[in-house]
Amino acid sequence: MNTKGATSSGGNDGNPSDSASPPPSKKNSKRPKYSRFTQQELPACKPILTPGWVITAFTVVGILFIPIGLVCLFASERVVEIVYQYEADCVPADYSNNVLAYIQSSDTNKTCTRTLTVPKYMKNPVFIYYQLDNFYQNHRRYVKSRSDTQLRSKAGEREIKNCPPEGTTKSGDPIVPCGLIAWSLFNDTYGFSLENEVLNVSKKNIAWKSDQEHKFGSDVYPKNFQSGGLIGGAKLNSSIPLSEQEDLIVWMRTAALPTFRKLYGKIEKELQANENITVVIQNNYNTYSFGGGKKLVLSTTGWIGGKNDFLGIAYLTVGGLCLFLAISFILVYVVKPRPLGDPSYLSWNRNPSGHLN
Amino acid sequence: MSGWDRVRSSRSRLGRNSSGYGRAPSRTVTLGRVQPQAPGHRTIYCNDREANLPVRFKGNSISTTKYNFFTFLPKGLFEQFRRVANLYFLMISILSTTPISPVHPVTNVVPLSLVLFVSLVKEAFEDWKRFQNDMTINNNIIDVLQDQKWEAVSWKKLQVGDIVRVKHDGVFPADLIFLASTNPDGVCYIETSNLDGETNLKIRKALERTWDYLTPEKASEFKGEVQCEQPNNSLYTFTGNLIVQKQTLPLTPNQILLRGCSLRNTEYIVGAVVFTGHETKVMMNAMNVPSKRSTLERKLDKLILALFGTLFVMCLIGAIGSGVFINRKYFYLGLGESVENQFNPNNRFLVATLTMFTLITLYSTIIPISLYVSIEMIKFIQSTQFINKDLHMYHAETNTPALARTSNLNEELGQVEYIFSDKTGTLTRNLMEFFKCSIGGEVYGTGITEIERGLAERDGIKIQEASKSANAVHDKGFNFDDVRLMRGSWRNEPNPDTCKEFFRCLAICHTVLPEGDESPEKVTYQAASPDEAALVTAAKNFGFFFYRRTPTMIYVRESHVENMGKIQDVSYEILNVLEFNSTRKRQSVVCRYPDGRLVLYCKGADTVIFERLADGNTDIKKVTREHLEEFGSAGLRTLCLAYRDLSPEVYESWNEKFIQAKSSLRDREKKLDEVAELIENNLNLIGATAIEDKLQEGVPTCIETLSRAGIKIWVLTGDKMETAINIAYACNLINNGMKQFIISSETNAIREVEDRGDQVEIARFIKEEVKRELNKCLKEAQHHLHTVSGPKLALVIDGKCLMYALDPSLRVILLNLSLNCSSVVCCRVSPLQKAQVTSLVKKGARKITLSIGDGANDVSMIQAAHVGVGISGLEGMQAVMASDFAIAQFRFLTDLLLVHGRWSYLRICKVVTYFFYKNLTFTLTQFWFTFRTGFSGQRFYDDWFQSLYNVIFTALPVIIVGLFDKDVSASLSKKYPELYKEGMRNVFFKWKVVAIWAFFSVYQSLVFFYFVTTSSSNGHNSDGKIFGLWDVSTMAFTCVVVTVNLRLLMICNSITRWHYISVGGSILAWFLFIFVYSIIKTPKTENVYFVIYVLMSTFYFYLTLLLVPIVALLCDFVYQGVQRWFFPYDYQIVQEIHRHELDDRSRTDLLEVGNQLTPEEARSYAIAQLPREISKHTGFAFDSPGYESFFASQLGIYAPHKAWDVARRASMRTKPNLPKKN
Repeated sequence: MNTKGATSSGGNDGNPSDSASPPPSKKNSKRPKYSRFTQQELPACKPILTPGWVITAFTVVGILFIPIGLVCLFASERVVEIVYQYEADCVPADYSNNVLAYIQSSDTNKTCTRTLTVPKYMKNPVFIYYQLDNFYQNHRRYVKSRSDTQLRSKAGEREIKNCPPEGTTKSGDPIVPCGLIAWSLFNDTYGFSLENEVLNVSKKNIAWKSDQEHKFGSDVYPKNFQSGGLIGGAKLNSSIPLSEQEDLIVWMRTAALPTFRKLYGKIEKELQANENITVVIQNNYNTYSFGGGKKLVLSTTGWIGGKNDFLGIAYLTVGGLCLFLAISFILVYVVKPRPLGDPSYLSWNRNPSGHLN
Repeated sequence: MSGWDRVRSSRSRLGRNSSGYGRAPSRTVTLGRVQPQAPGHRTIYCNDREANLPVRFKGNSISTTKYNFFTFLPKGLFEQFRRVANLYFLMISILSTTPISPVHPVTNVVPLSLVLFVSLVKEAFEDWKRFQNDMTINNNIIDVLQDQKWEAVSWKKLQVGDIVRVKHDGVFPADLIFLASTNPDGVCYIETSNLDGETNLKIRKALERTWDYLTPEKASEFKGEVQCEQPNNSLYTFTGNLIVQKQTLPLTPNQILLRGCSLRNTEYIVGAVVFTGHETKVMMNAMNVPSKRSTLERKLDKLILALFGTLFVMCLIGAIGSGVFINRKYFYLGLGESVENQFNPNNRFLVATLTMFTLITLYSTIIPISLYVSIEMIKFIQSTQFINKDLHMYHAETNTPALARTSNLNEELGQVEYIFSDKTGTLTRNLMEFFKCSIGGEVYGTGITEIERGLAERDGIKIQEASKSANAVHDKGFNFDDVRLMRGSWRNEPNPDTCKEFFRCLAICHTVLPEGDESPEKVTYQAASPDEAALVTAAKNFGFFFYRRTPTMIYVRESHVENMGKIQDVSYEILNVLEFNSTRKRQSVVCRYPDGRLVLYCKGADTVIFERLADGNTDIKKVTREHLEEFGSAGLRTLCLAYRDLSPEVYESWNEKFIQAKSSLRDREKKLDEVAELIENNLNLIGATAIEDKLQEGVPTCIETLSRAGIKIWVLTGDKMETAINIAYACNLINNGMKQFIISSETNAIREVEDRGDQVEIARFIKEEVKRELNKCLKEAQHHLHTVSGPKLALVIDGKCLMYALDPSLRVILLNLSLNCSSVVCCRVSPLQKAQVTSLVKKGARKITLSIGDGANDVSMIQAAHVGVGISGLEGMQAVMASDFAIAQFRFLTDLLLVHGRWSYLRICKVVTYFFYKNLTFTLTQFWFTFRTGFSGQRFYDDWFQSLYNVIFTALPVIIVGLFDKDVSASLSKKYPELYKEGMRNVFFKWKVVAIWAFFSVYQSLVFFYFVTTSSSNGHNSDGKIFGLWDVSTMAFTCVVVTVNLRLLMICNSITRWHYISVGGSILAWFLFIFVYSIIKTPKTENVYFVIYVLMSTFYFYLTLLLVPIVALLCDFVYQGVQRWFFPYDYQIVQEIHRHELDDRSRTDLLEVGNQLTPEEARSYAIAQLPREISKHTGFAFDSPGYESFFASQLGIYAPHKAWDVARRASMRTKPNLPKKN
């Protein structure tokens, strides 16, 4: 019925003089030394997930998350964003059945002028992004097709191990920057004007500082770039060191998903609501072969960054869900209470036949 | 031990059902298997090292280490790579050096090397300990004859042929041929407890020819040549010849002293070394303990297999996707004509195949590489630090702590459902104590047995320990206190004459030999059974001191007989001894008083004595019978004492018949029995004795607790049925409220057939009989089971019946029957049968079994069971050496199973499921990413993230849980033994549990991947800059590490500061790592350069870090809340009941609570105690010579000498010149 027999001689908490017969001389005694660790008596807190705790936790999360969600959503709402998808729009009607011929020919006129209306006041700076869809910058073959050593310093020029097929020219000279990523550099360009007044697009400070300073050398100049038969994308001015080629730096920071935005530049002028901006797009980049989309995005930023409702909505949903759960737990608690620590819930008390011995 | 194998082979020779046994205990029999004899023999030239040199006998040093300095690395690595998981990772590592791999080799090599390193360190440590152990043994000192002098050298320097001297209490360093002894007739006494656990002394006798070689001078003249068998492992056989001076003398086991035995009662002996080191019989017997794996681990293998399956499916999906995806239209991928095979759109099948391999390396983290090593470490610490050092399992009297000899089986202890226990030495102390008696209808003796105390406590009565009177005598075998009898005060009792007869009967009617000084304090009694010794000791303490025996006389120093304090020596002439055997169940002595009175004293079982009593005196008979029942239900072993006065005429006429019978050549035993019948009647009842077969401390309570835990306990013993039943009563395994099925071979029908002697007929008949009995019992058992409140069932079966019941055709019935019984007692079983019964349940019922025993006869059972427990602290080591755990007392099983076992089980379950969860979650995020990368197998995480995930960022906390988690405290575990049932049902590691974890893994990984990527798509600070792949993956990885570590806290039942430190430390380790890693400029790739600083400069980072873990854990939290509230586990209720109590500090207080019964319990207990209409148990039990010689004599096996033989011999030797009177 009890545990007396089992515990009586073991002794309590390490008092060495409690056992019936005196322990053999200290030296020979194999009596284990008492420590809280070996006796597994380390002080511990023993949390019990009572309904009270569950309800409290849900309520706290709910109360915490809903305001955060509101703040995020509010911040996101304040961001003004103009998105213009142009890959189909900017193909002349007579080429619409043969877009590849249009984009691959060097003779066709790639210029495409459109007018965008500013929906709301846009505080400066206004960021210009291009967004590509269905472009697998995270493809394994693509991601590794670069040479960080080469990009960083002139000395590493010949480090092109991962770069093929864009490693060398036909004559065997190394291409700088080598690899598929650089080769496929995005080459659509955008020009903006407001009421016939050209808006300056600043390309300064669009790449991460760390990339610019550490990954791309100031003594590395493009060499043999886009000199092969097949042109993948933009060409680079071979008189500007890579560290200054911010378009390239932005492009080289490969995106995580096949749909991605990249910073193109910024307009250091605020735009008023209902103003019409004229955009001149040089539609050079071939996304047509693989059915990719191209979008031009003008956006302001807030502390949260660009327009992003996801976080706000997620916070709100989770917060709401938690409050809902808290309420349902309270209801269930009222409808079907279970007294805490009721021995009748012990399995052997529920079917008493197996109990007595 | 070789005997067991002979049991097997002899049975198969009889052509009976041996095939059925062959399979079941195959593992266990390795112990007893006699190895095939190497052809030829060895010739040893004693005392002549040069002559022995050419043969190159092995030295006497032993080594039990696995490795040496040079073989350690290759052999150790080989051992490691025999594990599938390690081999798998080796292959993955190799694969990851090829261009196929999306990950740097470091990803897989680092964890693998860490795991291997830890495992090898552990191996080295263990081997070092073995080495040190060997060194201590090898450096023991022994006297060797060199240049006519005894030189002390270390054991390892001993060589075959050396002459050695072993002193009193010394241990034989090698197998020796016994040459000479200081004892006059060339005998010596040895104790073989190291070999077989038997503590009684055995005699070895040297060949007469060599008796003289005792002094160094003489011994150096000895030039014998020994021709003997090659080394083998049969302990009880030896054949060889000693050739001395062209005289060939046969050597028998009687001249062999085996390594490991020790010399007793002999000043010193001289012997010649025949087998050394690993060639000694004991070392040849040293078996590699078959490594047992726990059931849980085997289930874990299945889980790993399932993971491999999942891995395959995931890779297959990815591979098919890659084949479909690859297309020239993605010009930016540069898939020109010269593209490598992996991306060549012209051969999509090849693309898919190669991607398959790519993905296998990418998803390799799904197999938790560090799982095995973590579990190993956890179990190692559990066994060395917790089990070995538990003060509750330390036995102060024998100075023995518990010992976990393997760390493989800790969690198996938490799932045991059947315990097979040996009796002697395990349940009982093999110590008989005279406890109570009934003389002339009056009960004497104030003691309370353990079982009575238990009963009373359940009735709620607190028993006051009767304070022992100050002058109470406590002698070995005597634990009796009653002032009415002690110190001669029996003379004032109403019936002093009966008392006198009682004491004389005790002092005269026995076959005990006194040894040592003839003073009451110093004398020791040599008896065939401890019962007899206890009775004689009792007589001594009552003032009838039996101090000398000659073949015809018994001398008793009687005090207080005539006057108080007067002492007189009385000699009784012993005319006849009618010995005890199991059919007679009684023993008589005819003696003649000095005054010529002729008396027959008889003691025996109540049944046989009562039917031979003279008429009249019904009152005393009735009262005595009541007393016997009382004693019996208190768990005492009873004997009835009676006497009969004989007239010389009656005696003389009877004695003639007796002498005739004694000298008859045919059926002597039977005739003697018949003659005995003639005189053993018309007896006068004197009274009854009650001997306590002293149980080990706390056994009934322990058994009670264990059976409440749902564990069924079977007693397997070599003892007789009566003894076994008696002990079962004493241990509370059987009580009068139970329906008992007794299947015995001691029935008249069987005996009749046996007397006819036709072996085939006997076998057939017994088999039929057993089958009939089994079917009958089973039918009845099922009937009882269908009634609601039927009695509990108990099965008692003896070895001979068991032999037939274990026959394949009957085995199922036996199993069905025994599984329905709440206790089973098997008596008269051989060691092999113990193993068979164990494996019957282990394999037949697929339940987890535990065997516990202390002697060599339990070894096979210990090895056959899932868990073997040896009783340590006594002399015998054989059982301990074969066991997985060694404890000093049976009662420590409560702690071992209910506390350590249960905790280990819980912890390992948690560790395993958590490992499964964390790796699956991590890998699944990769898997989801694969879908968004055109199935190219691009890695989501940086190489170092992936390689350190398992070994740094999530390694420690789970180990802490494996060590410290406890749902309820130790005292509560024992207070609510029912909690143990959760382990038996394997509640915490069912496929359902795994499925739930898997579900949460999928959910969480989806949350990680989609929440992080979706929220990262736009610019993230006011600079409008955009994150790239490595920023997103670092964010996701941070979320995974934080969540997975927090999830761990959610599975903890108790959170110590180590939990906080390890969980906090792991998360901190990740941040420290990434802070440093982000600013290191690695020469090759710098994907992650500065990433964390960029991330941490945005609000996005903090918002996501708050959101994602909470969302991920929300689902688990809801699940846990609902589960606890609506479907609580038992342990959760117990936690709630005791939620306000402090931890273990108040253990003693809790004990008091444990004594109180709920009204319901009290009532049902009362019902159980109601008398039932079955004859009550009276507790007759008496040990006749032990089971071993019983079996041996049955099967014609050479059995070592028993104590009685020793005693008889000794008496012959010391008093050889007494004139014979008969």
